[in-house]
Amino acid sequence: MRRSLFDKVWDAHVVEELPGGNALVFIDLVVAHEITTPPGAIAIEREFGDRLYEPDRIVAMIDHVAPAKDSATALQAQTVRTWAKRQGIRFHDIGDNGICHVIVPERGYVTPGMTVCCGDSHTCTLGAFGAFALGIGTTAQAGAMLAGCLILQRPKVMRVEVTGELPRDATAKDLALTVIATIGFRGGTGYVLEYTGSAIRALTMEQRMTLCNMAIEAGATTGIIAADATTTAYLAATPSAPVNWFAQAADEDAEYAATVTIDGSAVGPVVSWGTNPGECAPIGGSVPSDADATSLAYMDLRPGQPLRSIAIDQAFIGSCTNSRIGDLRAAAEVFRGRRVSVPTIVTPGSQAVRRQAEREGLHDIFQDAGALWTHSSCGPCLGMSMGVLAPGMRCVSSSNRNFPGRMGDGGRVHLAAPVVVAASAILGRLASPAELEPPSVALSASSGERAASATAVVA
Amino acid sequence: MIVEGGVLAIARANIDTDQIIPARYLTRIDANGMGEHCFEGLPDGAALLSSRPGAAILVTGENFGCGSSREHAAWALKDRGFRAVIAPSFARIFLENAYTNALVPVALPQQVVDELARAQHIAIDVAAETLRADGGEPIAFALDPLRKQFVLGGGFMQYLAAKIPSVRAWEAAR
Ligand code: SF4
Repeated sequence: MRRSLFDKVWDAHVVEELPGGNALVFIDLVVAHEITTPPGAIAIEREFGDRLYEPDRIVAMIDHVAPAKDSATALQAQTVRTWAKRQGIRFHDIGDNGICHVIVPERGYVTPGMTVCCGDSHTCTLGAFGAFALGIGTTAQAGAMLAGCLILQRPKVMRVEVTGELPRDATAKDLALTVIATIGFRGGTGYVLEYTGSAIRALTMEQRMTLCNMAIEAGATTGIIAADATTTAYLAATPSAPVNWFAQAADEDAEYAATVTIDGSAVGPVVSWGTNPGECAPIGGSVPSDADATSLAYMDLRPGQPLRSIAIDQAFIGSCTNSRIGDLRAAAEVFRGRRVSVPTIVTPGSQAVRRQAEREGLHDIFQDAGALWTHSSCGPCLGMSMGVLAPGMRCVSSSNRNFPGRMGDGGRVHLAAPVVVAASAILGRLASPAELEPPSVALSASSGERAASATAVVA
Repeated sequence: MIVEGGVLAIARANIDTDQIIPARYLTRIDANGMGEHCFEGLPDGAALLSSRPGAAILVTGENFGCGSSREHAAWALKDRGFRAVIAPSFARIFLENAYTNALVPVALPQQVVDELARAQHIAIDVAAETLRADGGEPIAFALDPLRKQFVLGGGFMQYLAAKIPSVRAWEAAR
């Protein structure tokens, strides 16, 4: 049988076939963060003499609440910290931290053909590297740390071919939301999404990560993209510059359980209106006439309402979907010389991204625009620490989930690309960058002068 | 093994893990004490729970447990007293977590689930893979034959620990 890329990676990691269509799958890398790791690490310590399969196959970090917001989250961080130290596990503490799905690729920890798991559903992000990367529960993660493998049902493979070329105003986020809207919010359940086609080949690694990041939002086990020259160049520029890997691709005429074709040239800016990521529409459009009533009641919207008429209370740029340097550069272009009209939080995906952004002066652009420029954390994305919404507050966000209460009890979330979030922050309503007036001359002076004048206004 | 009890029906698709247990409660280093926050993310969660105090069987809609990987969702349901979830389908990670925590995941067609949602009491024979609603005729369902043993006897981690020698041998020959 002609095999898909996923089939090849899977087949190369099966230790043993198990009853009921299950397999014991070898795991090359376990990523461990402070929210989901402690109970598993403690169980291994208590019941299995603290023995890990191979500490070198683990990388740990503090990412969700960084730094700790209270004693409970400090204990979570401290538990991972002492465990990593005791076990000699590579560890990214606060200061050197970042969202796990940003840190792992930027340091070159993931390479094509690997298997990666983490107690975090967005581990699918790493499929951008041609790896089989998936989210799992705490106990399964503990099992992988103990025994070097996972018990998995072999997923089916859905080929998602994106033809043509994305238009200039369309981003990887718009493509990710379009894929979910096309196959459905649960349409990927039981599948791995294998992305192919000219529009995929043209994406940068960061854009591929944005796309794969949202595979879980279609219910898919993960997404995967074959490595190519773009991948090689990206990995060569990482601090560990890994070389010990080889690129695999699907066989020509590989068999897929399902195939979906999307015309890349027809993708445009999209924003979510509902309470799952599949409930989205072009930003120039309206809330659908057949929209789910429960979603609309929660979101306080009505069918037919133009999306551009929806006023917002907060804007957030960040999360493992859209917080890398390319995202920040794109958002900064929109903010440059303009002012936000609602509270706006910009949270880089890692401290390395933060430092790079500051070298490029992006932090000045954000702050001159009136946005809050923060340290790296998952932050507002999961409503757990900073930037939490109050009931009824409406936030446009570059993150990946708009479930009820996701960013705070009763809070409402509209998912969009960073440039759409930036434009919306400026206009105070859902908006695309195309709607913005050119920035005023006075505000497009050098960033240093802008910073001085902003300070003068405050004084 | 018979898992039985009163029924709480939440006839809604796509109940995600943020609704089962919001992120603000994911601050423990153990799996305990999550039950008091179960369904706090569901706008009418508290009212639903108090309408059926002591319910042990949850009957709900498609794609239950979608969203984040948090095993806390299974822990919260267990701690709240639920022993089984009956739905037309489950999200993958939730399904895996349910098995490892002996929260019996029963997948049945939508119309059967709709009927079960009207039941007062459901008894599930896990080994036989059948259930009875209010003493009615048995209804068959299917469990993952491997993971079923973790529901019946636990031992997920022990099962993997026993595999370590073959994993090491496989890796050496890789
Ligand atoms: S940024 Fe949000 S979605 Fe991504 S890992 Fe953190 S909490 Fe999860």
